[in-house]
Amino acid sequence: MRYRKALIMTLALGTIWTRASFSGDALAPGEIVRACYARFYYAGDDMKARILMKLIDKGGQERIRDLTMLRKNSAEGGEQKYFIYFHQPADVKDTTFMVYKYPDKDDDRWLFIPAIDLVKRIAANDKFSSFVGSDFTYEDISGRKPEEDTHTLLREEDVDGRSCFVVESVPQERSAYTKRVSWIDKENFLPLKEEFYDKQNELYRRFEALEVKEDNGIPTATKRVMQNVKTGHRTEVTFQEVEYNAGIGDDIFSERYLRRPPLQWIE
Amino acid sequence: MIKRIFGFSVEHTRLVILLTLIVTCLFLWQFPKIKVDTDPKHMLPTTSPVRVYNDEVDRLFSLHADTIVLGISNKEGIINTDTLKKVALITQSILKIKGVITQDLLSLSTVNDVIVKEDGLQVRPLLDQIPETKDELETMRKVLYENPMLVDRFISKDGKTTAVYIPIEPAANGKAVADLVRKIVKEAGPPEEYYLAGDPIARDTFGSQMFKQMGLFSPVSGMVMCVALFLMFRNYALVFTNMGVAMISIFWSLGLLIGMGFPVHIMSSMMPVFLMAISTDTVHIFNEFYFRFREVKDKRRAVLETMNTVAQPVFYSDLTTAVGFASLATGAIVPVKVFGLFVAFGTFVILLMSYTFVPAILMVMKESTIQKALGREDIKEGKAQGMTWLVKLGGLSLSRRSVILKTGLILIIFSVIGISRIHVNNNMVSWFKAESEIRRSDKILNKELGGTSLAYFVLDSDKEDFIKEPSTLRYMETLQRRLEQNPLVGKTTSVADYVKHINRVLHQNDPKFEVIPGSKDEVAQYLFLMEMSARPNDLNNVVDYPFKRANIWVQLKSWDAGVMRELVQAVQKYTLDRPLPEAKFKPAGIAYFNMVWNDEVLWGMVSSFLASLVLVLGLLIFEYRSLKWGIISFIPLLATIVIIYGMVGWIGKDFDMPISVLSTLSLGMAIDFAIHFVSRLKQRYQEIPDVEDALAWTVGRPGKGIIRNAVLFALGFAVMMFASLTPYITVGIFMALIMILSSVATLIYLPALIIHFKESLSFKGGR
Repeated sequence: MRYRKALIMTLALGTIWTRASFSGDALAPGEIVRACYARFYYAGDDMKARILMKLIDKGGQERIRDLTMLRKNSAEGGEQKYFIYFHQPADVKDTTFMVYKYPDKDDDRWLFIPAIDLVKRIAANDKFSSFVGSDFTYEDISGRKPEEDTHTLLREEDVDGRSCFVVESVPQERSAYTKRVSWIDKENFLPLKEEFYDKQNELYRRFEALEVKEDNGIPTATKRVMQNVKTGHRTEVTFQEVEYNAGIGDDIFSERYLRRPPLQWIE
Repeated sequence: MIKRIFGFSVEHTRLVILLTLIVTCLFLWQFPKIKVDTDPKHMLPTTSPVRVYNDEVDRLFSLHADTIVLGISNKEGIINTDTLKKVALITQSILKIKGVITQDLLSLSTVNDVIVKEDGLQVRPLLDQIPETKDELETMRKVLYENPMLVDRFISKDGKTTAVYIPIEPAANGKAVADLVRKIVKEAGPPEEYYLAGDPIARDTFGSQMFKQMGLFSPVSGMVMCVALFLMFRNYALVFTNMGVAMISIFWSLGLLIGMGFPVHIMSSMMPVFLMAISTDTVHIFNEFYFRFREVKDKRRAVLETMNTVAQPVFYSDLTTAVGFASLATGAIVPVKVFGLFVAFGTFVILLMSYTFVPAILMVMKESTIQKALGREDIKEGKAQGMTWLVKLGGLSLSRRSVILKTGLILIIFSVIGISRIHVNNNMVSWFKAESEIRRSDKILNKELGGTSLAYFVLDSDKEDFIKEPSTLRYMETLQRRLEQNPLVGKTTSVADYVKHINRVLHQNDPKFEVIPGSKDEVAQYLFLMEMSARPNDLNNVVDYPFKRANIWVQLKSWDAGVMRELVQAVQKYTLDRPLPEAKFKPAGIAYFNMVWNDEVLWGMVSSFLASLVLVLGLLIFEYRSLKWGIISFIPLLATIVIIYGMVGWIGKDFDMPISVLSTLSLGMAIDFAIHFVSRLKQRYQEIPDVEDALAWTVGRPGKGIIRNAVLFALGFAVMMFASLTPYITVGIFMALIMILSSVATLIYLPALIIHFKESLSFKGGR
């Protein structure tokens, strides 16, 4: 099954790529964004990553989120499951967090609080609020469905020597931003830069992928930064280890493992 | 030297007038460069400790110095679908205003809340979906009232009022943003009522109104003074000259101020009125000129003789005034310094004009018009020396001197008692009239919600994660309960409240768990949950990044500096009772700033004023080459000030900024009268050495100039009683009083004093 999906995806991307190289600008902006969505948020069947997040305020003070993230897709563009284990800060060690992401309804989340040995189910419709205090929103972490925006190809432009599509996305559905401009790598369809505009139509957040590495032929933005240009706050993210298609079992994503983290996956 | 100056002016009238006009144009040239600064915060330099610390606290806790509060209320209660829809709509529109800090705007529709459901928690923006059914509305009500952090902030206890908290960028103009918000709520319309409050509105509205009022009342009081002048002298040229001198000194000093790049501040905006007042000193020249002209019937001789007689008192009275104002520069507050120095400069301009422009104008006047004006004055005032009632008054103060002296003494003692009752306070909102929109809104919001003024008490330690200790949280919690005992404290919020709330929410909303948990890890994990479910800034606002410092928010229902002082003392007492060796509390926030600012400016003003009093006394002693004469001529000024502030104490008016500004004005006026009086008295005594006669003559003749000056001035200021800002009303009323008092002190009390001490006073020599 895994094999079939990978094949489909490769084929799909292949078509897009061929069309892009043959007919140049003819690639529809919606397709660019859809390809980006697939590559960036649905890469591999599953993923395991050790992620270090640094939350840095205007004055340079830092807070750290050292976590292991496990992700498993059920179908591309469809349901996803996330399991997050926190190594640091020290006083929240063993806290675990699980998210079931559904494409067409609100997430389900569960949080395990070790100090009182309690698992709480959290129903949330706060896609636009901050992910663990960082400058990323939940939506930034798990992706926004391309169908929720209308896309326009503005131009093509180089970012750090890589040629990109520059696409403007204007929300049709509820959104935290009024406009998003994305610089999407023409080759691997990763977003190298994104700029978000607020209700005053002013730039307020900027995302940048500073380093891209490949694992199993799958490119990953291993260094990312999201900066709030209005507050001066920024979040630096480093993917210290990434592994795709590691064969994470579906049973990991359950309340049992929230309480007793699966050591083989979080090391 | 002085003689040569006015001698030259008499010879070259046209040249003098032309030169004056040219220089005036040069100064006027600077006016387009005008910069305006209405923020009273800028009274303190950026390096002042309170500003530095406030900025640091803002940075540490991601706070915004300026927040506007919009109250929305509905008599039927705000928890109904229509009103909530409006709140959401208004919030959306306000977010679009430039200058509003979008990510930190707080209203029912932007705040996240954690709600307890049967199968877990629900995290969502409060107004994510506008409740429509009865059940949904009931749930909403329950959610709001179950969260103590929302009550009194987003919903009033009676459920009729909610609020939108609108932080604005430091560079944004509070009034401009408020005007746009007003437009938005006007479109939203009734039945809801809307109230706007907050420091930026008060400050910026005050700033803009201040300039409007100054722009309106400077010319109006100028005009009133013109009319009064005309009624006194019946001569347009004279009226023109007098106002001309005022205008010239205003243009020169404001031009210089602007040209040198200083912004026009609250204090310096009052310069025109002050200079107009000081320039009335030239009335003494006209007054004497009229008497002289009647005696010698020759314009040229009359001008020269007038200048010979008046030059010296004019010189000394202007010099004393200038020194008095310049000595304000000894203080630490920059805008007060600037104000003092430039008024001093303007006073010198007036002095220069008195020697040049004034005699030149007198020379170009037609003799026939002067004659005509004199004729009228004679008919009006009686015959001969034309000063009958003043002469009678002079006689009275001589014959009844012991009664006068005793009355004066009793009055002064009574006033000193009054001064001891003075209550120092400052409240910017009360600078607006009681019926003004700002004050009404402020009053209503303070009644309904936690309070529009804000103070912070920052718990500051060196230890990382110190704030996560349950004992620290309990320590803060107890302090909060203590502070809340003050009836003007509406609400306090700290990280302890968040921890308690999360504890309760995690335990099926059981009120038993609304306490600080027992272990540090528990606290840390609750806070972590909060970071995962709320706006990051909710937490950042109350605790810093390394958890070394925590910030207790204290909402105040009053802008009185006095309330803040009480809180600072309460915290001091608390930390003394229960010392916490690892950490200490430091106050901050707008309420604290206002308190410090108020104290510094007020006491800075008072100490500068005392310094200038000493200087003026020294100058008087020097001028008369006599300690006794110096002291005697100092008494009308002193008596005036003592009585005025005694009155402030007795009527229970707060001693605030505008009241403290008054003191400097009295400096400018009361001393002039005494100098004119004593100088002329001594001149007269040289001619006819009879003390009583000389006194009666002085009360009658230069005394008339004093009365004219006082009336002119009192009228000019009385106009300000119709202003819409209370500080101007205060200044207007008290100035009129100061004029009456100081002229009475000079014309009644001073003669009585002189006669009483005549044995020990030398009338000869001197100057």
